[in-house]
Amino acid sequence: MERDSLMMVIGAFLAIILQIVLAPNIAIFQATVNFCMLYVLIVALTRPSNNSTLVIAFFFGIIYDLLGHSPVGAMAFLFVIAAFAVSKVFEALDNDTLFIPLAILIVAVFLLELLYAIFMLSFGVVESSQVAFLQRALPCALYNTVVGLLVLILMGKVFTDSTRSSASSRTRDSMHVSMTSNKNLGKVRTKHRF
Amino acid sequence: MAPKLQQTLTSASSRILLVALLVISLALVSIYFREGEEGPLHQAQSSASGMVRPLKFVGATLGSATDAAGTAIENVSASETTLEALRAQNQELRKQIVELEEYRQEAIYLEELLRLKNYYDLDIVSARVTGRSFNAWEKVITINRGSRDGVITGLPVMGQSGVIGQVIAVRATSADVRLLQDPQSGVAVLIQSNRAEGIVKGALDGLLYLENLDVDATVQVGDVIITSGLGGSYFRGLTLGTVVKIEENQGGSTRKIVVAPNATTRSLEEVSVVLSMNSEGDATEPVAPPKKDDEEAGDDE
Repeated sequence: MERDSLMMVIGAFLAIILQIVLAPNIAIFQATVNFCMLYVLIVALTRPSNNSTLVIAFFFGIIYDLLGHSPVGAMAFLFVIAAFAVSKVFEALDNDTLFIPLAILIVAVFLLELLYAIFMLSFGVVESSQVAFLQRALPCALYNTVVGLLVLILMGKVFTDSTRSSASSRTRDSMHVSMTSNKNLGKVRTKHRF
Repeated sequence: MAPKLQQTLTSASSRILLVALLVISLALVSIYFREGEEGPLHQAQSSASGMVRPLKFVGATLGSATDAAGTAIENVSASETTLEALRAQNQELRKQIVELEEYRQEAIYLEELLRLKNYYDLDIVSARVTGRSFNAWEKVITINRGSRDGVITGLPVMGQSGVIGQVIAVRATSADVRLLQDPQSGVAVLIQSNRAEGIVKGALDGLLYLENLDVDATVQVGDVIITSGLGGSYFRGLTLGTVVKIEENQGGSTRKIVVAPNATTRSLEEVSVVLSMNSEGDATEPVAPPKKDDEEAGDDE
């Protein structure tokens, strides 16, 4: 398995475990963190032009809906839209700074919470729009944004470190190759050509 | 030309995939609302909830440990004034226990005299809270009793001093309970003092609201709310909460009545699933409301 895919799988398991084990225990004023949402958005930011991102978003939405008692398909619908929109916006605006992904993440989290509140109101799960928006969607969005930013920065650091380590290992490899190439230049050239 | 064509094809396939996934999602939502509680999607939800039960238990243990740590920190940091107040409260409670025991004995004697059955003659099964919902839009707990213990969907669940919710999904060894505070929760109730009927509904703000009450029904802060048994989802006569706030609009045509639940739950705490209520048959018959003194004695029990 490729390193990228392995990280995706580990991240997926971690998101689900955190959602079930940690999220109910770190709720603040009944606002809970949606680790599944954060995972989907971060995947959409890290793999913008990949169709598998949409599939991951769909399945994560289904898992989220199945593990709770909310209408099955609602979160899947929103996750797919969010993953697609985030991917496209990121592709268009990416300028290699951390600001763009952070800004996209914040906007996406707020829109997702807002749309989910509209879903809940239209399904009749919640009656008061004021309560739905002000006492649930807004606090959840703020909480998710804070956690999302921390996760994104942490991931950025992890990836930078791993990139550095892989870069240094590549340097070591290239040094090894050059040493070998001194010994057997013809063989290495043939190897590189393929 | 080739990379451009490839890009166009990728973009097209991406859009087709997007539309397909959205259509499937909406179809699932539609099916979910059309099917009943026994439908495949509801069953899948119940099964999925059962599959992650060990993880939920880990979460509940973590929550319980956090609560205990919080309480310990509060106790350690409690001032001498707080401790003094608690000691005084403890003394007062001890006195009340003695008085209540007297009332209880008196109530038993009166019940025997009147040949009324005990309102709280319940057939219950104790359960432990082993999980909580992670979704901010619902208030659902998981308990460690299921169909093997006689638990079925619709049964009321009680905390230490009153109703806390209703069983909504049952598996062999666990069940999900929708708490009263869940926005989808609704219980037919009576105001104990004047028998006025209404419905207590949960809300996202965590409060309970008494609705559908007659316009001329009198309500006062402190009124005790009990289940009426109407609709068949709850047994009659279970204590639910107390009226804590009444907000009337300027004309007095509508009022918002806030009810504080008597019981709450914490992780790993014991709750009771009410399998049957032996006195229900008698209680649902039109019995003249007992005098207030007798009622209080009954409640204390």
